[in-house]
Amino acid sequence: MDTAQKNGASGEILLEVRGLKKHFPIQSGFLRRVTGYVKAVDGIDFYIKKGETLGLVGESGCGKSTTGRTILRLLDPTAGEIIFDDPNIGKVDLAKLNRAQLKRVRPNMQIIFQDPFSSLNPRLTVGQIVGEPLEIQKVASGQKLKDRVAELLQEVGIRPENMTRYPHAFSGGQRQRIGIARALALNPKLIVCDEPVSALDVSIQAQVLNLLEDLQEKYNLTYLFIAHDLSVVEHISDRVAVMYVGYIVEMARTEQLYYHPKHPYTEALLAAIPKPDPRKRTRPIKLPGDVPSPANPPSGCYFHPRCRYAEEICKVERPPLRDIGGEHWVACHFAEKLQLQGITPLNEIPLIELPRRQASVSATTTAATQIPHPQSLSSQV
Amino acid sequence: MANGAIGTATATTGARVVSEDDVIRVEDLKLSFYTTLGVVRALNGVSFNIPRGKVIGVVGESGCGKSQTGLAIMRLTPGRIEGGRILFREFNAGEEIDIVQLDKNGPEMRKIRGNHISMIFQEPMTSLNPCYTVGYQIEEAILLHQTQDKAEARRRAVDILRKVGMPNPERIADSYPHQLSGGMRQRAMIAMALSCTPTLLIADEPTTALDVTTEAQILDLMRELQHEIGTSIMFITHNMGVVAQMCDEVAVMYLGRIIERAAVDDIFYDPKHPYTISLLRSIPRLGVARGQKLESIKGTVPDPYSTVPGCPFHPRCPAAIPGLCDAVMPDEVFVAGSRTHTVRCHLYT
Ligand SMILES: Nc1ncnc2c1ncn2[C@@H]1O[C@H](COP(=O)(O)OP(=O)(O)OP(=O)(O)O)[C@@H](O)[C@H]1O
Ligand SMILES: Nc1ncnc2c1ncn2[C@@H]1O[C@H](COP(=O)(O)OP(=O)(O)OP(=O)(O)O)[C@@H](O)[C@H]1O
Ligand code: SF4
Ligand code: SF4
Ligand SMILES: [Mg+2]
Ligand SMILES: [Mg+2]
Repeated sequence: MDTAQKNGASGEILLEVRGLKKHFPIQSGFLRRVTGYVKAVDGIDFYIKKGETLGLVGESGCGKSTTGRTILRLLDPTAGEIIFDDPNIGKVDLAKLNRAQLKRVRPNMQIIFQDPFSSLNPRLTVGQIVGEPLEIQKVASGQKLKDRVAELLQEVGIRPENMTRYPHAFSGGQRQRIGIARALALNPKLIVCDEPVSALDVSIQAQVLNLLEDLQEKYNLTYLFIAHDLSVVEHISDRVAVMYVGYIVEMARTEQLYYHPKHPYTEALLAAIPKPDPRKRTRPIKLPGDVPSPANPPSGCYFHPRCRYAEEICKVERPPLRDIGGEHWVACHFAEKLQLQGITPLNEIPLIELPRRQASVSATTTAATQIPHPQSLSSQV
Repeated sequence: MANGAIGTATATTGARVVSEDDVIRVEDLKLSFYTTLGVVRALNGVSFNIPRGKVIGVVGESGCGKSQTGLAIMRLTPGRIEGGRILFREFNAGEEIDIVQLDKNGPEMRKIRGNHISMIFQEPMTSLNPCYTVGYQIEEAILLHQTQDKAEARRRAVDILRKVGMPNPERIADSYPHQLSGGMRQRAMIAMALSCTPTLLIADEPTTALDVTTEAQILDLMRELQHEIGTSIMFITHNMGVVAQMCDEVAVMYLGRIIERAAVDDIFYDPKHPYTISLLRSIPRLGVARGQKLESIKGTVPDPYSTVPGCPFHPRCPAAIPGLCDAVMPDEVFVAGSRTHTVRCHLYT
C-alpha cells in the first residue's frame, strides 16, 4: 500500500515526536545512589500520519518498546515532545499532561503486547478483559456492555459464547485476538503494536497480521508497529524507522528503505535477513563487535565501531537525522555518497496445483484444484 | 502435473529413502507422555534419515514433536519411547547401533552424547551449569574428549568462543552464565556443542532468541564448521528463511509425524503436501506482493490429548476429501518420478 494512496494527498499527521528521551537511572550501592543512566531512548524524532503504519525495527535492547511505552505515557519521558492530534481536543503535547488530563486522551491510544500468554489477566474472563476499558472509562455497563464485548469479539474472530471462559483456555493466536479486541474497545485512533506476532507460529502469525490490516482499513486506524522481523515489517508498513542504540538512524517509505537504504546499519540488517528461498543464499555483512550498551554508548556516530564506511569524523561528530529528499531521513555523514545494497525481491512461490481426488479410490479426474484463496478460508476460530 | 502420482509408487511398507551412508536412521519412532490429564502421543511413527555431512531441517508448528525427536535421539526425553528404532552409525560403513536399545544412563550412551552427538537446546539455561564459568565448562568438554593439555584446552575454548562471535572471548570465558545476556548464553551454548566436533549436531532452534545480524553470523559459522569437519546437522526451526539458507533437505512435521520430506529446493519450489504449501504461503516474502493478504491456515493445532481420525491435517485442510481424509490415515509415498521426495497425503496415493 502506498502512503499517499492510503491517506489521500493530505497525509495529515496524527503523532509527532520531537527530541524524545527516556533515560533510566542506574542505581548502585547501599545508598542506591544514581551512578549513571541507561539512555534507552536518546533524542528521537519521527511522525506518523493518519491511517498509516509506521514500522519500528532494530535489534534487541535498542529502545523500541521504551519508545512505544513513552509515547503512550506508560513511562514518563525524560525530555522531548509528543504531539498527538486528539479528535476531541486537538493537538496536545502528551509529555506535558498530568494524570487527569491524560485520562481524557488515553482512550484514543492503545497498545497490544508481544506475549499473548502473560499480557492477559488470568483471573478475569475474556468478557471482563475486553470489557474492562469500557467500564473504567464508564462508556457502557449492563447489557450494553455485554453487547459491545460480543461485537468486539466477533470483530476479531472469537465466538462471543467464549466470553465466560478464561484466557488459559485459548491458544496463543486466540489470546492475541483477545488482546486486540480489548485494544479496540474504546475506538482508538492510534495503536502501538509491540511485537504482536513475534510469539506466534507462522500460520497463526498470518491470521493476526491479516486481522490487523482488516481492522485498520475498517476503522482507519494508525499503527506504530514494533517488530524485529524485517519481513513482517516490510509486509505491513507504509514507512519504516530503523533504531540503533536509542536513536533513529533511518526512516523512509518502505520500498525506498528496503531497496535503497542509505544508512550502513540498515544495509547490514537487510543483508542478514534469512531469505526463504534456497536459490538465493546470501552471506551476511560481518559486523565486528556487539551492539553497544545504551548505558555506555560510543562517541560520535554510535555505529562507528562496527561500520565499514566509518571515517575520522564519525568518531567525533554524531550525525543528526536529516531529510535527504523525498521524506527519506538518514543519520549518517555520508548518506548521499555511499552506494549501499538493498534487497532484491524474492521469487514468488509458484502457485501449486493440487490434484483432485474423489472419495472413491479409483476415480481420478484431470481437473486441478487450487488451494482456495485466503479470503475464502474462514478466519473464525 | 502431479496427476501422474495417483496410484503409483505406493509401496505397502511406505516410502523410505535408504542411503548407505546415513548417520542416523529413525524408524517408526513412537513416544508418549503419560500425564494426569491423559496420554500425549507426541511422536506417532516418525521415520527419517540424516545423510552424512548433510544439514537436514525439521520444521513444523509448535508442539508437532520437533524437540522430542531430537531429545529422543539423545535419549534425554522425559517421555516413554514405545516403539521404533534409532540407528546410529558413527562412520561410513561402520557398525549400526540402535540407540533405543541402550541404557540411557549407561556408559555407551554417555559416550555417544559426549563424543558423537551433541545438542544445542531450545532453552539455553538447561545445558549451562550456573555454578561454573562458561570457559571452564567448555574446557571440561575438550579435556574429556580431545586433549589432556590444560593450556591447550583453554586456548581452544577461547578460540571457539571467538568463533561464535563473542566480542571479548577471554573475558567471556571467565564469566558465569547469569552474567551474560540471553544472546550471549545462546552463543556460549553453541560454542560448547561445537567444541567436541560432533559427528551429528542436533540444533534445536539455535538462533531463535538472537537478533538477525547475530543469527546470520552464527548460521555462517555453522555452515563453515559443517564444511570443515563434515558434521551432519539436524536443524530444528520454524523459520522457513533459515531453512532455505541452511539446509540440504527438509522434513516437515505435523502432529508427531513427518508429512513431507524432500530436498530443500523441492520443498520451496515443488511442495506437495497441502500443509507445506500453506506454510510457505503464510510467510511474508520480501519484495513480493506487498499490501496483499497473506494466506493463513484456518484453525489451530488440535490439543495434544485428543487424537484426530484419518489424516491429522484434515480439519484444517482446504483440499480434504470427505469420506476419505477424515477416516483413513494416508501412507507415506514417493512423489511420482522422484526417489527422494516423499509425502503423506491422499492426493498423491
Ligand atoms: N525499567 C527499566 N529500567 C532500566 N533499564 C531499562 C528499563 N526498561 C528498559 N531498559 C533498558 O533500556 C534499553 C531499551 O529497552 P527496550 O525494552 O526498549 O528495548 P527493545 O528495543 O524493545 O528490545 P527487545 O527487542 O528486546 O524488546 C535496554 O537496554 C533495557 O535494558
Ligand atoms: N514433559 C512433557 N509432558 C507432557 N507432554 C509433553 C512434555 N514435553 C512435551 N510434551 C508434548 O509433546 C508434544 C511435542 O512437543 P515438542 O516439544 O517436541 O514440540 P516442538 O515441535 O518442539 O514445539 P516448539 O516449536 O514449541 O518447540 C507436544 O504436544 C507437547 O505438549
Ligand atoms: S556516520 Fe560514519 S560511522 Fe556512522 S553510519 Fe555513517 S559512515 Fe558509518
Ligand atoms: S490427506 Fe486429505 S486432509 Fe490430509 S493433507 Fe491430504 S488432502 Fe488434506
Ligand atoms: Mg521490546
Ligand atoms: Mg521445540
